[in-house]
Amino acid sequence: MHWQPKPGTTLSTQILAEACQCVETLGGQKDGRWRSVLTFYRPMQRDANVPVEHPRDFLGLSLQEQPAKYYFILRSNRMVVEADASIQVVMEKLQSYKARVILNFEGFQYKLGDFQVRVGKCVPSTSEALRGIMMEIEYIPLSSIEKSRQVLEEFFDIWQETISKKSLPGHFMHIDSNFGDYGLRDLYTSQHTAVQYATCMAQLIAAVRA
Amino acid sequence: MECVVQGIIETQHVDALEILLEGLCGIPKEQVRIHELCLKSGPNLGVVPSEVHLLCDLVQPMPSWTVRHVGGAMRGAGADQMSVLVRTVVDSKVSHNVLRFFYCLGYKLDHEMLKAGFAFSFNRGAQITVSVTSVHKMPRLHATEDAIPITPNINMVEITAPATAENYNEVVIAISSFSEYLAPLLHLSKPGASAGIVPTASAAAASLMSNSAGKPV
Repeated sequence: MHWQPKPGTTLSTQILAEACQCVETLGGQKDGRWRSVLTFYRPMQRDANVPVEHPRDFLGLSLQEQPAKYYFILRSNRMVVEADASIQVVMEKLQSYKARVILNFEGFQYKLGDFQVRVGKCVPSTSEALRGIMMEIEYIPLSSIEKSRQVLEEFFDIWQETISKKSLPGHFMHIDSNFGDYGLRDLYTSQHTAVQYATCMAQLIAAVRA
Repeated sequence: MECVVQGIIETQHVDALEILLEGLCGIPKEQVRIHELCLKSGPNLGVVPSEVHLLCDLVQPMPSWTVRHVGGAMRGAGADQMSVLVRTVVDSKVSHNVLRFFYCLGYKLDHEMLKAGFAFSFNRGAQITVSVTSVHKMPRLHATEDAIPITPNINMVEITAPATAENYNEVVIAISSFSEYLAPLLHLSKPGASAGIVPTASAAAASLMSNSAGKPV
């Protein structure tokens, strides 16, 4: 989920602090830090004027819970690729795509009964400028997306009710990712998480532009 | 980084080489069946043209994919004097949609082949792998089942071992010493500098085969 600010308002770390407080109000216990790194890869062209067939960009993602893996997401082709972390070295050596923008997702992880909740900010690697606020909710006992849908929806409702009491300028929004388009099944994997990051990123970019 | 030497052997002597390797390594052989696709960057993509290899291991019931980037060989007077090539190699295991991924990025298939044979992996001063394979071409795109040997009478032998910038000298020594055991059957040299087949191969193979035939099972 990403934070959708009200039109005309700006993001602030205060929202993040309030969101963390809300998780604690619900009984969430801090369970360490949360950090993921999202990279925008852009093609390196020999001649910028020649039209190209390849995508304008694609995403690379490293997840805290899968330190040995790396994920690529091509939204235009509805594709997610899982690879060993060494694929980043391969990409560097090929010199065909360059890591242009690197965004860090940093925050805290909470244990809340059977749920794992993560709240954090999205900041570029080169500055402290706040680009977005993100939340991740995982229902640990189930891996089936369909079976866990109801329980997650109920959690989401409680969450919205709790955070709305803070009268913050905006709200958390969840956009469903169409996993089927990516060839992913009902059993939740880190590839599903990667697709969700891409969906969320598109929303964050749209929110910044709006 | 890896250290590598290659050589060729006549197919008729492969059985003898297998007996020799089995004796030297003391472990059973592993089957090798690798579908290798070489992709090159399309026009205008990348600062320089680039090449990437996709390897599909067909031995397992569920084929597994690896992306391999083979970098340049180590240069300099020291490297020239070595009988083993030291080069950078980066491998990454990937999901099965990797071919589509590279096509989407603007890479094109340059050629593909099937390497079928066997290998021995063991530790002898370094983690050495000796592979003996016959290189096949495909009559149709990706038709690995119908692959035909390119040189039916010749097999390729490759000895590789992973290395680091700190230990490659020791790995080179380990590969060179092991190569000497195989010298009666084949010459091993840096890739691209094939020394051909050795004249003593037939006699050495005959001797190995007769010794093996006399062994109690």
